[in-house]
Amino acid sequence: MDLSTPPPDLYGRPRTDTLIRRLTAFGDRYSPALGGPLLRRNPRRPLSRPTPPLQLAVAARRQLASEVVELTFADPSGGPLPPWQPGAHLRLALPSGRERHYSLSGDPADRLRYRIAVRRLPGGGGGSAEVHDTLHPGARLTARRPRNGFAFCAEPAVLLLAGGIGITPLLPMAREAQRHGLDWRLVHVGRSADTLPYADELRALDAHRVVPRTDDEHGGVPTGAELLAHAPRGAAVYCCGPAPMLAAVQRALDASPAASLHFERFGAAPITDGEPFAVRIGADGPTLDVPADRSALDVLREARPDLPYSCHQGFCGTCEVRLLAGRPDHRDRRLTPEQRAAGALLPCVSRAAEGETLVLDI
Amino acid sequence: MPRSTPVPALAAPAARVHESLVLEPRDVRFDWARLPLHWIPDEPMATHVINVLHLLLPEGERWFVKVFKEALPLIRDEQLREEVLGFIGQEAIHAEAHQEVLDHLLGQGLDPRPYVRQVSWLFQRVLGDKPGLTPAQRRENVIERVAFVAAIEHFTAFLGNWALNSPGLDRAKADPTMLDLLRWHGAEEVEHRSVAFDLMVHLDPGYLRRVRGMALSGPLLVHLWVRGARFLLAADPTLQGRLKPSWREAGRIARRGLLPDPIRSIRSGLRYLRPGYHPTQEGSSSQALGYLATSPAARAAAAHG
Repeated sequence: MDLSTPPPDLYGRPRTDTLIRRLTAFGDRYSPALGGPLLRRNPRRPLSRPTPPLQLAVAARRQLASEVVELTFADPSGGPLPPWQPGAHLRLALPSGRERHYSLSGDPADRLRYRIAVRRLPGGGGGSAEVHDTLHPGARLTARRPRNGFAFCAEPAVLLLAGGIGITPLLPMAREAQRHGLDWRLVHVGRSADTLPYADELRALDAHRVVPRTDDEHGGVPTGAELLAHAPRGAAVYCCGPAPMLAAVQRALDASPAASLHFERFGAAPITDGEPFAVRIGADGPTLDVPADRSALDVLREARPDLPYSCHQGFCGTCEVRLLAGRPDHRDRRLTPEQRAAGALLPCVSRAAEGETLVLDI
Repeated sequence: MPRSTPVPALAAPAARVHESLVLEPRDVRFDWARLPLHWIPDEPMATHVINVLHLLLPEGERWFVKVFKEALPLIRDEQLREEVLGFIGQEAIHAEAHQEVLDHLLGQGLDPRPYVRQVSWLFQRVLGDKPGLTPAQRRENVIERVAFVAAIEHFTAFLGNWALNSPGLDRAKADPTMLDLLRWHGAEEVEHRSVAFDLMVHLDPGYLRRVRGMALSGPLLVHLWVRGARFLLAADPTLQGRLKPSWREAGRIARRGLLPDPIRSIRSGLRYLRPGYHPTQEGSSSQALGYLATSPAARAAAAHG
């Protein structure tokens, strides 16, 4: 847009708009005045400090089901921990440096302990194996304060759908639903009864509201419609389980008695069809290798921590950078052909062929 | 005809306050092909007063995104940084969603461009980068703009909360897709209502900064709104300038639940100046998240995301 000629009058009258003229004059004086006395941050006030990480110690460990271990953490000096609400997760920094999110499965009213349950995943990134193998009572580790991407809204009628270890965020919800006297049901899906963690705690809450549903007794994996048939009319559904289960529930929702669906979003799916390539920051800048299973954005952020980004999935456009040279493979859903031709690129999803170097203006 | 989306009943009181929410943009899409010009049937005034949103928001929210990107290097807390990044993504999607409505208005013979040009000038020139500033002045300008955004976000959360609690719009048979846009957007505004305020306090906890943010942007926002409504009513090809907005008429429409009450809106702006104010005191995250779990656009976004 032309920033030298003020816009014309709204109704086509041959004069400059008074409001626009006054605002422009005001803005031109106001910006340079900032920084003067009274128009600046009080320099005597200390800068706000970053929140320190939580220090935790493993207080207890027990086997919950086959391949599922429960860990209880406490503050090493026995003090209270930051509060949380059902659906919240804890981001643990494991001894190896890996970071993993685990939903809190305990009772938010217990301010002294956090509880998580972890299933060992043979094909995972090694986080669950590390938890199983190295976290024994007394072990120390750090974590970020609990955050909630799956908040429980306590609707009057609620259906909780848990797939296996997906019970962890739903158990505190069931407890809260029971406490508030909501009309709730919980369907716990798994391969067999011995793979369902927390069956005893659920039965203790209200056995009539809990339906264990195992593949071995019911002849295979349930359909979305079968799961949603447990919903009271107009219920809010909270689903946590493997991706195919969530997809089946999403597809079946409109034809079911349920009215809404809550689930935790986990950002970008793993990159499975990428090739290794390289990015260079500026024409003379450093060249960084992008491995086949990482995004260019992740690699760039290590060099430039203040790089903005948001969705990780190529639709919000926040991470847009300008391409100076190289042949990109655009994988976003946001940029128009014109914007791409002008050099726009979203490094959160877009890549390049093997051996290619994308030179970016950052 | 897409079905209208009821807003879920308000949740149990104990669950209303949600802290430390993870914020992420939702990849929503809307189909405007069948949107009538007066999407609240037989209510051109109410329609156009709400339509001012589409005039202001695309440019305004792109400016929010720019300001917050500039503020990123000043943030010294990891959780706040994550919330700001989530906020940026949500605002970027809001801007595009409203831009599509703007394009649709033009296709229906209502040319919004004269007003939008002025709004662009406001955000890009008046509130844009100025040449010749020292680094300290530039930093102060970023913080000052964050304070403007924080004050405006107070109003967007107020309006979002109103949109989620506006059965009058359902009674008047407002277009269901537009209602979903307003309520999806409103719900995300309620969901992220603390971020701009928390960022401002993080960068400058001074009370004077907060007051300046509201004192400058509050009256300007009201003025732009009135001006926008007058402009749209004049530019509407089916009205031919017969309808003039007035506060009395706005009050009458508000009493039927088609607009927020003007007096309450101004009172809400004044609450922002209370020393103990925090955005979490207004609106309900549970209600907002409950709506997002119902919203056709947000649900479709989740399914293809």
